[in-house]
Formats: sequence, structure tokens, C-alpha cells
Amino acid sequence: MKWVKRIAIVLAVLLIVPMAALLVLGHRKNAGVAQAAAEIDAPPDRVWSWIDDGDKLKQWVSWMVDVKYPDPQKTNGLGARRVLVMKDENNGGALMQIVSQYSEYAPPSRMTVDVRDTEGMFTGDETYRLTDLGNGRTRLEVRGRFHYSQWFANLMEPLITPQAEKKMAMDMAHLKRLAEAKAQLQ
Amino acid sequence: MKPPGWAQLVLWAVAGEKEAEFVAGDLHEEFLLLWADRGRSAGSRWYVRQVLRSAATLLGLRFRSGEAAHLLAAALVAVAMPLLLLDRLWSFVYSHIPLKDGLERAPGFWAANLVCVCACAALCGSLAHSLPRAAGVALAAAAGAACALWCSTATAPILYAGLVILAAPASSMAVFVWRRPR
Repeated sequence: MKWVKRIAIVLAVLLIVPMAALLVLGHRKNAGVAQAAAEIDAPPDRVWSWIDDGDKLKQWVSWMVDVKYPDPQKTNGLGARRVLVMKDENNGGALMQIVSQYSEYAPPSRMTVDVRDTEGMFTGDETYRLTDLGNGRTRLEVRGRFHYSQWFANLMEPLITPQAEKKMAMDMAHLKRLAEAKAQLQ
Repeated sequence: MKPPGWAQLVLWAVAGEKEAEFVAGDLHEEFLLLWADRGRSAGSRWYVRQVLRSAATLLGLRFRSGEAAHLLAAALVAVAMPLLLLDRLWSFVYSHIPLKDGLERAPGFWAANLVCVCACAALCGSLAHSLPRAAGVALAAAAGAACALWCSTATAPILYAGLVILAAPASSMAVFVWRRPR
């Protein structure tokens, strides 16, 4: 009986305490919000094309394998939709489709897209804000806000969001390198 | 006059409870004779050679008696399963990143795995009632940890893999030694 008690205590420490901590952290003010910023040595209109053009998007967002347009006549602008196809190696290499619809479109300074995955795992929005710093430099800020539909994913949100933010910063660094290299070439 | 400690531990780990005492006793007697005759290093070399040469046979005997199978099954359930479940959990976390991420795990996740594997291995060690069993549990815990590392989705950093494979048997033995009546 004594050992059953001890095993129960170990299980409680290993399972219940982290779960309770996740539950509490899930209610913090910035839950589900990931943001990143970078200053790029390229003018805003050049940087804009890297976030607006599907082919260019594939070059700096890792694991993105395709960008499809449900309506080929309307590839950007308010209400336009694009489907981002991601290869998910953490899910056995399964292809995940994320529908992204423009809800704000003001080139070359501001863009907001509503995103949701086709399997109903999450919904959210992403805002890109470009500020002209002069001398051919741009400050790009990205802010994503996501809500996870599944209860377990929602519970894991305090672990998912920091990793999403880390990934966002890595992608931004990649974008900065590409945009600056291209700007230098031109 | 004692033979090398690690070789003794390997002997206790591979030999079954019934065989361990007899084999260890016989080897110790021979070791003492060689020590007196040819010196310490020759005696130690002979002891280590004997342990390594008989390890496979002793392990085979232990498997046939069913004892090793039970230990291995227990270690797999207690050490490998939590590690694999954690690996699935981290895969789930990374899968839910809206724009997806790589297979590399955050240091915090590796640390959580390490704490979990130590706790589970310690629990296994605390349930062992004799040295051969504790050593067997430690060996099986290391095997279970290695197995889980091999089956996991992410490629583990060398340092982490080494720590897990060493920490699992170490925690198991540490708890056994701590609990053993003096």
C-alpha cells in the first residue's frame, strides 16, 4: 500500500503538476500570440513582394512545399484566398493545408490574413506591418494570434506558442537574408 | 582486495539471482589467487576478461529462466514507454505550430525527458530487492532508454542521448543503494 502511494505521488508529480501549470499558463494575457520583427536592408515594396508572392513565400517559410490559389484570377487583395501546403515531418511527413484569406491589404505597409487549417485544428490571424525607415530600409513586424480548437492542443498552448514564435523569428531571419541578398543584386 | 567494481556490476547485471552469487564467488576466489601470484593488474585483467566472456552465456541463462524477460519488459514499460510518449507529445506540440517547425526539440523538452526518465528509472530501482535484480533493472533501464532514443522521431543531440543512457541506470542504482538496508 505504501508503494502504491509512492507511485501515485510520482505520477502526480509527473502528470498532474505540469498539467495544472499548463492550465494556469494558458490563461495568461498573451496566450496564443506570437510575434517577431526584423529590420531589413531593402525598401518596403521589395519586402512586400516576399510576403505577398506565393512563390517567394515558399523560399523563406521552412517546410512550406506549395501555395495554391483556389481562384487563379484573384491571387491577392482583400478577400483573396491562398492555400499554404506544409509538409509536417512531426506528423509522419503528412501534408497539412492552411487556408489563408486576406482581411486587410494595403501594399506596401500592412497586410492581415485570417488563417485556419483544413482539419479544424486551429484558427487565427497574422498581421504584417512594414515601416519605411528611409535609406532603403524597412522594419517588418509580424504578429500572429492563434486559437487551438482541440482541447489537448489548447492545453499545450503555452508550449506551442513559444516554439511558434521561435520558428517565426527563424523564418524572419531567413527572409531578411534573402531580401537583402536580392536587393544587393538589383 | 577487490576486483574492478564496474566488472562486478556487469556480472550482477547479466547473471540471474541464482547464478550471480556462485559465479561471483568462484571468480573472486580465482581473482585472489591470481592477485597473490601475479599481482593486482593481472588479477583485474583476468577478472574483466572472464566477466566479458561469460556475459552472453549468463544473460542467455537469465533469459531462459524468465527473469531477464520480466526485467526487460518492466524497463521497457517504465523507461522506454514514457520517453516514447514524451516524443509523441513533443511531435504533437510541433505539429500544432501554424507554419510548422523542424524536428529539433527545444532544450526544455530534452530536460523534461531527462527528469522523467530519471524518475521512472528510480521508481524501477526502488522496487528491486536484491543487488542482481537492481543491476539487471539498471541494465534493462539503459537498454529501454536506448531503444526509445532509437525509435523517437527527432534526432537527439549526442550529449542528451549519452545523459539519458547513463542517467537511467544511475538513478535506478542510486535509489536501490539508498533504500538498501545497511
